[in-house]
Amino acid sequence: MDYVGLYPVWYEPGIGSGWIVGLIATVHVLFSHTAVGAALFFAYLAHTAYRRDQPELLDFIKRYGLFLLVFSYVLGSITGPGIWYSTTVASPRGISALIHSFVWKWATEWVFFVIEVVGVYMIIYLVGKVDRATHLRISVIFGLASYGTMLIIIGILSFMMWPGKPEWFTEGGYLNGFYGANTFAQLALRTAFMFTMTAVVGGIVAGAIKDTAFKREITRKLALLGMASAVIGGLLFQWYMATLPETAEVIAQNRLPEWFSLSLVVALSVIFAWFAATWLRPGLLTPALASAMTLVVLVFGLWPEETARESLRKPYVAGQYVYSNQVIARDVPGLGIRSEIPLLERQGFQHSQVFVPQRLKTVTAENAAEVGHSLALTTCSNCHSLSDTGMRPLAGYFGGNRDVAEIQVYLQGALVTGNTLYMPHIPLNDAEAFALASFIAGMNRTSPLHPEPRRVAVNATAATPVTQSQE
Amino acid sequence: MEAAMLQALRDPAGVPSHPVIFLVLGVLTWALHIAAVQVMLGASALTLFGAFKQDAHWRRLAAAMLNTAKVAVSVAIVLGVAPLLFVQVIYDPFWYTSNVLSARWVIAFIVLLIGGYLALYAFYYRNPDMRAASTRGAWHLVLSIVLMLVVGWIMHVLSVQMLLPEQWMQWYAPAGHIDPSGQQLHAYHPARFAFFILLSGAVTGLWLLGYRRYLMGREDGHPAEDPTYIAWLKPLALNLALAGGVLALAAGAVWMLSLPEKMAWFATSAWMGAALVALLAAVSFPRLLGARLDTGLWGYAPFALGAVALIVVAAAREALRFITLLAAHGYDALDYKLNLDWYSTVLFFVTFAVLGGVVLGYLLTVAWKAGQTKGVYVPSPGLTRLGQVGVLLLVVWIVQYFAVGFYVWAR
Ligand code: HEC
Ligand code: HEM
Repeated sequence: MDYVGLYPVWYEPGIGSGWIVGLIATVHVLFSHTAVGAALFFAYLAHTAYRRDQPELLDFIKRYGLFLLVFSYVLGSITGPGIWYSTTVASPRGISALIHSFVWKWATEWVFFVIEVVGVYMIIYLVGKVDRATHLRISVIFGLASYGTMLIIIGILSFMMWPGKPEWFTEGGYLNGFYGANTFAQLALRTAFMFTMTAVVGGIVAGAIKDTAFKREITRKLALLGMASAVIGGLLFQWYMATLPETAEVIAQNRLPEWFSLSLVVALSVIFAWFAATWLRPGLLTPALASAMTLVVLVFGLWPEETARESLRKPYVAGQYVYSNQVIARDVPGLGIRSEIPLLERQGFQHSQVFVPQRLKTVTAENAAEVGHSLALTTCSNCHSLSDTGMRPLAGYFGGNRDVAEIQVYLQGALVTGNTLYMPHIPLNDAEAFALASFIAGMNRTSPLHPEPRRVAVNATAATPVTQSQE
Repeated sequence: MEAAMLQALRDPAGVPSHPVIFLVLGVLTWALHIAAVQVMLGASALTLFGAFKQDAHWRRLAAAMLNTAKVAVSVAIVLGVAPLLFVQVIYDPFWYTSNVLSARWVIAFIVLLIGGYLALYAFYYRNPDMRAASTRGAWHLVLSIVLMLVVGWIMHVLSVQMLLPEQWMQWYAPAGHIDPSGQQLHAYHPARFAFFILLSGAVTGLWLLGYRRYLMGREDGHPAEDPTYIAWLKPLALNLALAGGVLALAAGAVWMLSLPEKMAWFATSAWMGAALVALLAAVSFPRLLGARLDTGLWGYAPFALGAVALIVVAAAREALRFITLLAAHGYDALDYKLNLDWYSTVLFFVTFAVLGGVVLGYLLTVAWKAGQTKGVYVPSPGLTRLGQVGVLLLVVWIVQYFAVGFYVWAR
């Protein structure tokens, strides 16, 4: 018997593991982008302060730096490993694929992290204790190292969507995986929005400045930075979308919620209006308002962006070869990776998996629903919650259908064939399709999503999605 | 779990350099991680102790240790990331399974760590100068220490669960019924945890000797420093080192006596012997130095030796894992499939050694010297040149990133 190396599944009935990862990732993006942006902004401010001999700018750096230390470094440095830990438990083979291809890139990033951690404490604690040129040099080092971390992680994030070059599949090689149009588009996009976030969050500190003239100057600097970067970011977004693979484009057109682009446009407009207002009337800026704006960015900008990134790369979780449900979907001759689909077709899921208890290996009349639960955990739960809350609850897509045979027909038409664009090819054998259908039928029976039993027309050749169920 | 199953769990992408490199880096960086963790725990504990004292020396020490603890948490975290990376490169079947089976705790780890860190800062904001004012809100500090210990406990459980593949199935599907909640911590070894935690007494004692030496070395010389404080620190540090060492060794002995059968070989192994000798040497070294401790750079030597001892301990800990998994489960961490990638391997080592060496060398020297100078510190021209080279290297690094990137993109 050959095995497919699927790990145990962690399933969180409340909000689902997917959303937990998304939440941590969203706040981390806020913290880390703000930190990188602020680091560069600091270097600029320090430079101006020393050149124009304006010690009050340094004072600002010190205040913002202290705030940032807690806001970005404490929280950013923990949520960073936090994303890692959360994806480890939500998608072990996804993170594993990234780690094994990019371990040295991460290790290189780590060198920059160490520099950052040392640097941030020095910038803050050494104001006034070292000469100006030295302090400035430390700020520059800090800024460059911070940007270095961004440069590295972007390549890995892009690979998650789509390996940089198609040659990666045939030749392998870290460079082919890391660099591509999507890498640079994303880098440009994130660089722009990073400054937007810096400007928004910087307002929390700038709003508290007492000296009106100085407050005006800083507020206007932040407002200009914010407006320019928001506009540039909006334009770069178009480029970014153009570099996405075709499947992502199709999904973007069909599957992203309608509110997605609306939400981005609104978020950008609100941000722009906010900066325009504070540029005209710097007095408007208060820490409370700036905090509210930060929340707006978080909820209407970053959360949709993170969830869209998750949707766009469906059905894959990494490199267009690892499915979200952790199965390796295609050959990658460049790395000697073999698709696991043929093996699963031959042996079935239950016999191929390492973590299936003996009594659930073979489907019987008695254990069918429980085997189905096990299959649902392995093959669906990464994208569909099995309860009524969380990400795309599975029960919601079957319209309360309790007919095992009909559901089985759907599974075999749409999933076993691999005919659904945004869902993996899931080669359940007949017995397994029956088991999963039994589980889904049972779930539909108890789901409060469907108080009224209702049948859905699913025809035998239902290779097309059951859109009826979503009316 | 049969060997074939463990093999199947490995990532088919293989590893980009020989696995032994990851093994060695894992040991080295984990030793640094645990050193920072131990200094952090010890410094927090000393701060707490000082928080309830009126004595001026204790107040001063508490103030200093509070700052140490704050920085040490950051350092512990950033140094924890490296072994986190390396362990999952060559031990992925074990690390991922262990994590998933306790997934809720893995998520809790993040939340609790944030809580512990913020609690430490909350204490600091209430007590910005412990020398000048009496302690406020000590419970924040207690909370922080407790949360950090829970975080460490989670790490400990994850490390122990890795070693017990024969029990995984029972944890995941008790009596054959799958439980995907990840809500339990399944296996732990309190004596092992106690060993690593109690060792922080010893490590912190040696750290205090270094701190004391640092104070003695301030450029403006002894008169500015309070000699009674310097004198007061010495027995405290020595006793702490000794007491921590004795307690840790006692816990270690219990650990060795309670090893599960498949690991029992470790108790009498050369690895274990080497770790014992290294620890005994590190703890007794400052006493052997006697009066020399106050001359030259000797004051720093005990901590340096302590760091070496921790590397030996880390190597022994790794041997326990490597050999157990090999002998009892047929998993050889060194026969991982190779997909050599020269570019990224070389880029890392060059970045680490050259860029990291120059930039961190510059930063740490400036920090050090600035700390030893009263008033404004101006680096020597040589040191400044090092800083300029550091900036240049960073710029060169960024330029090569884009140059290589555009070349690959355009190819
Ligand atoms: C890679 C992630 C992923 C996996 C794994 C997955 N799905 Fe889906 N599924 C989706 C997405 C995305 C949609 C579209 C959701 C939407 O448009 O609201 C979807 C929609 C559906 C629908 C609605 C029909 C349709 O096409 O719109 C059904 C039914 C469904 N999935 C069943 C399943 C079952 C059963 C499994 C497990 C055997 C499964 N899915 C596994 C991502 C996934
Ligand atoms: C700040 C609180 C922390 C404490 C008290 C702590 C403590 C510990 C302890 C005691 C161990 C050894 C467990 C054992 O072998 O029994 C350990 C291992 C480990 N720690 Fe930490 N740790 C902390 C934070 C972190 C963080 C933030 C990370 C990651 C970013 C981390 C990464 C690791 C890893 C990866 C290991 C296991 C290494 C291996 O098994 O090879 N730790 N930690």
